[in-house]
Amino acid sequence: MPLGKLSRLLSDKKSRFSTVFANHSLNKAAIFLSHKQQNGLRTQFTITSNFKAFGVILRQLILMLAVIFSPTALSYTAPISAQIFEQDSISVTTSLVAKKAPVETIWNTIETLGKNHSVYFHAWGGDPQINIYIQWLAKRVKNSHNIDLHHVKLTDTSEAVSRVLAEKSANNHQQGQVDLVWINGENFASMAQYQLLARGWVAQLPNFSLTNPSENEAMTRDFGLPTQGMEAPWGQASLSFYYTPSPNTHDLNYAQNSYQDSISKAPKNINQLLTWAEQNPGRFTYPKPPDFLSLSFLKYALIALNQQQKEQVKSGLYQAPTPQSQAALLPTLWAYLDKLHPHLWHQGQYFVASGTALQRLVGDGEINLGFTFSAAQIPASVARYNLPENTRSFVMKDGSLSNIHFVAIPYNAANSDSAKVVANFMLSVEAQAKKQQAEIWGDSTVIDVSKLPVQQQLLFSTNQPHPSALPINSKIIALSEPHPSWSKLINREWLKRYGAQ
Amino acid sequence: MSRSFETSSLQIENLTILREKTALLSLNETIKGGEVLTIMGPSGSGKSTLLNWLTGMLPKGFQAEGNVYLNSVNITQTASYQRHIGLLYQDALLFPHLSVADNIAFAMPKGDKKARARKISFALAEVGLAGLDNRHPDSLSGGQQARVALLRVLLSQPKAILLDEAFSKLDSQLRQETRQLVFEQIKQHQLPAIMVTHDESDAIAANGKVIHLSATPEQHN
Amino acid sequence: MSNSLVTKTPLSDRLFNAIVKISPKVLMAILILPVLGGLFGVILPAFGWLPALDKTQFNVHGFQQLIQTPGIAQMIGLSFFTSIVSGLLAFIITLLLLATYFDSPWLPRIQRLLGPILVIPHAAAAIAIAFLITPSGMFARLLSPWLTGWQNPIDWLLPHDPYGISIIMGLTLKELPFLLLMTLSAIAQPALNIKLRAQYRLALSLGYYPMTAFFKAVLPNIYPLMRLPILAILAYASASVEMPLILGPNAPPTLAVAIMNWFHDVDLSLRIKASAGALLQLLITMSVLITWWLLEKITLAITCKSLSNGKRTYGDAFWAKIINFFTVLLISFITLALLGMVFWSFAGYWQFPLALPEQWVLVHWQSALLQVQTPIINSLSIGLVATSIAIILTLLTLEFEKQNGALLSNYSSLIIYLPLMIPSIAFLFGLVWLQEALHSKAIFMNVALAHLLFVLPYVFLSLASSYRRLDPRYAQVAASLGASPFKIFLQVSLPQLLMPIMMASALGLAISFSQYLPTLLVGGGRLNTVTTEAVSLANGASRRTSAVYALIQMLLPAIAFSMIWLVSTLQNRQKKNTKVNL
Repeated sequence: MPLGKLSRLLSDKKSRFSTVFANHSLNKAAIFLSHKQQNGLRTQFTITSNFKAFGVILRQLILMLAVIFSPTALSYTAPISAQIFEQDSISVTTSLVAKKAPVETIWNTIETLGKNHSVYFHAWGGDPQINIYIQWLAKRVKNSHNIDLHHVKLTDTSEAVSRVLAEKSANNHQQGQVDLVWINGENFASMAQYQLLARGWVAQLPNFSLTNPSENEAMTRDFGLPTQGMEAPWGQASLSFYYTPSPNTHDLNYAQNSYQDSISKAPKNINQLLTWAEQNPGRFTYPKPPDFLSLSFLKYALIALNQQQKEQVKSGLYQAPTPQSQAALLPTLWAYLDKLHPHLWHQGQYFVASGTALQRLVGDGEINLGFTFSAAQIPASVARYNLPENTRSFVMKDGSLSNIHFVAIPYNAANSDSAKVVANFMLSVEAQAKKQQAEIWGDSTVIDVSKLPVQQQLLFSTNQPHPSALPINSKIIALSEPHPSWSKLINREWLKRYGAQ
Repeated sequence: MSRSFETSSLQIENLTILREKTALLSLNETIKGGEVLTIMGPSGSGKSTLLNWLTGMLPKGFQAEGNVYLNSVNITQTASYQRHIGLLYQDALLFPHLSVADNIAFAMPKGDKKARARKISFALAEVGLAGLDNRHPDSLSGGQQARVALLRVLLSQPKAILLDEAFSKLDSQLRQETRQLVFEQIKQHQLPAIMVTHDESDAIAANGKVIHLSATPEQHN
Repeated sequence: MSNSLVTKTPLSDRLFNAIVKISPKVLMAILILPVLGGLFGVILPAFGWLPALDKTQFNVHGFQQLIQTPGIAQMIGLSFFTSIVSGLLAFIITLLLLATYFDSPWLPRIQRLLGPILVIPHAAAAIAIAFLITPSGMFARLLSPWLTGWQNPIDWLLPHDPYGISIIMGLTLKELPFLLLMTLSAIAQPALNIKLRAQYRLALSLGYYPMTAFFKAVLPNIYPLMRLPILAILAYASASVEMPLILGPNAPPTLAVAIMNWFHDVDLSLRIKASAGALLQLLITMSVLITWWLLEKITLAITCKSLSNGKRTYGDAFWAKIINFFTVLLISFITLALLGMVFWSFAGYWQFPLALPEQWVLVHWQSALLQVQTPIINSLSIGLVATSIAIILTLLTLEFEKQNGALLSNYSSLIIYLPLMIPSIAFLFGLVWLQEALHSKAIFMNVALAHLLFVLPYVFLSLASSYRRLDPRYAQVAASLGASPFKIFLQVSLPQLLMPIMMASALGLAISFSQYLPTLLVGGGRLNTVTTEAVSLANGASRRTSAVYALIQMLLPAIAFSMIWLVSTLQNRQKKNTKVNL
């Protein structure tokens, strides 16, 4: 059986050399095939002439079968190896240049090399507003550098993580499909741990200095972990809540009600939340771990519930969990959830999969209270009829979990130079100011605005907000993210306790 | 069978069958128990349509006026499955999922299992098929199948019987034997019968009234 | 022309013969290799071999972790029972519909009504059902507040109930048309159809009530034709992802959904457990199939005596009434689900107990149409490529069969069902690994080939019967006139098969349009089709956007089928015109 032979060839540890050789040639075969394919198929994507495409497809089919069937097919790749080595040598020279030349020259090289390619940006695609902003980014980098930025819409960032891992396991070390990924927290920790990210490239970006990293330590730490130049900051967000009273529990002229009246019945801290849930059974829920927003809520609860503890105990949250810190901090969380769950929507027997699903429940009137990391999404959803008009945003008085989100480049990205160009543009004043506009996305900038010229500072000022938006004068008490290991721990323990009922 | 001394009869009263508003055939006949009415005519003349109407299965596109009485009861509007009119096709149509005995049992009224089995064995022996009870229908010859099909109809205790080209697939020797057997049984059970056929010799053997249907008016044009 | 007697055959004919000769092998290879290769790519990690994580020792840790997963028994139970129960329900309803309407003009009507549901992708169907049964859905709205008194949506457990009722509803509703149409097309073969109807009438003339006549005289003869489609839906149901994802519980979910989550989990070591889970899924699917087989044997043993007991009716009149009522219910359920979806796609604000939206707006369609172009182009091009390959291969294989005068062996026929019987979640992850090892950048082709796996069986099954039914005498006449096999194939066989080929193409396109898991996994999310977009939006923030996508998803295959309809009417008209001209 040829397949077995092929895999034995790949897996036989004793013949290390042959393995390396086989993998190498296989990769080349793959590259060869994909080049052919790109030339053949990408251009004819719309299939204008079926017949021609068929020829290509049939040839492709036969080629693929040939590769699958016979190990001897590997020898066909020999004539094109020269081409591959040429490519390799280019990337070698770039890295050599990178070590010697000054920052500006390096950047010029990167910019030149990055032109005219495609960048596959793997980013969560659940929010139409963000998707439209990314489309705008694509338009801008197309104009400036002729880069085709493709938004690969993920339902969960971990999909991109597992893709890079799959590529690594298939020995695809150069032609990875993920060029740029939107990431933070445990996904970052995970990718860093398995060495799936390119290192030390962030300092090459000219716009990175706008974040003032030397004074602003948060720009180089992700959930407490040093980023080591593996990811560039993109924005920051904090957890805010939104509340939609049921039509029969309030008087109908909500439009005239003051903001404070509208949210007077909503809970303002973690303990009020429990009382509120008891009084309004089935009217609140939160997403199920390992969803990002779910873990954020649980981390908020963990921090808020332990605020009365000694400083020493609380500091355990910002280090990897130990048996002691777990014993000191976690029980309050579980005790709280044990009390809360029976009063949740579906009696806590079903948890929605994501924050967007949570928002839909509020929109349907099935629950009254939701929360989000992108506060600007709420007025936008009201404008698109997805949330009732009487929805109001607010922040909890005992603090809001806050974090920075980043973009990273996998170690095997096919178009890493182009990805850097894109990342640099994402950090530009223009892109950051636009992103912060409430009607665009409303995501806080990572640029140190105070260091900018006054004219540019004005770009970051906000217009008159929507009644459903978070008031500008809201007092946000930022709660830092715990060490990423806590997320993993909470996730695992939660699933153990509540994952199967 | 017990009804043999009653006036068993099949009466077709002022029947007109229409296809797309054109008259296809008209008929006014009474068949007494034990008699066979033979209907002949070219294909398309409405022979099979007549049988379909009698069994209450007139296909779409046909209309019929007139009445049919079975033993003086008007069954024109009765559902097919409540008419008790037995059918014998040119194909034996034995159920392939049942044995020979079960094919016959299928047709018999429900009752004591052993009594039914005895009756079936007896009937099979009577037509020269003794001991074939548990055979699969496919293993029988064409003539044997035709005889089982006949038994199946007779043991279902029909009040009348229709023969739809019932012998046309048998070769001449077999045809004669089977025909004889069928007509004997019809006589013995005093059943009114209608036979549709192409074959002159069938009509002669039936020894009853013969009606020749003409081709449809449409075909004349 | 006199040259034709000389033994030299033209190149095109020799080439054609050679292609015809290898095509069955190519077809088999396309079906077997990815499945086996994919399984292989799952078995290795399941036993601990995952070099990317520096795990190169074989062990059973993955299985140990799997067994220790909280709620694993519930996951297995949920997968097992939702598939068995939904399969059973679909089977029973199919039988009841057939029994009630076997000889009635309503059967083709019901067939026409359910036909479109067959081509509705699972995801869209699930979305539509979710809209219907959710606490703020159409049912609750129609009954509130006048009957229920609810001013706010009540917190009932549907959908996402822990018992899998919603999944069963969804699966049954989706499997029912498939089973019904497969059965109807199987018994539509002329010879069989005439025989079945004659036997049915014979049973009627013997005094059997219509439903009893169907069960005793017809069903035993058509069940063998239903068996494979049933096994296919059982296998699908036991491992499907879309339905449980949109309608099912998640604490815990079904095993297939859990496996998908593990494969996508941040914690990369979970991939070993996921691979072990994929093998467990294989076992569950097998045990579902075996359970069905056992049920079949038991039912047969219990009922075989009563087939010939002479009983003419089992309360037929009563059952007929129940089924008529149930059919009306079923059709209104479907209509309501579709109507609800149309409403949502145009809805402005729509507060709970109102049965109609407060405003009607176009904005959801407008914004979706701006973004859906690429997904539509992707769906169409993948579908066209996969379907074209499938059609060509199928035709060539059938031509081979004809030239050699022998049907494919039983063994080969089983292989055609292979991708339908083996749960895709069990081999797709391995397939991704394999495809990456072979050629990592040819995403479009990879996805199209993965689609081909699922399109090919349906195309083959739908074309085979027509091809085999072709009157061989036409070809014989053509051959006697000196036409080469290639010419006969092109000019005699294909034109006669135009309609079946069109039908098979439409079916192939519809199957391809509905593929979720293969597109997502093999494409790595880089090729968005309407279906992947619809599923990812199904649990998103906006019911309205989600409704728009589900409707677009339904429209695509509908367009394919209406094209067929158009072509066939044009063809008929042309025939009529030529007749008149003559």
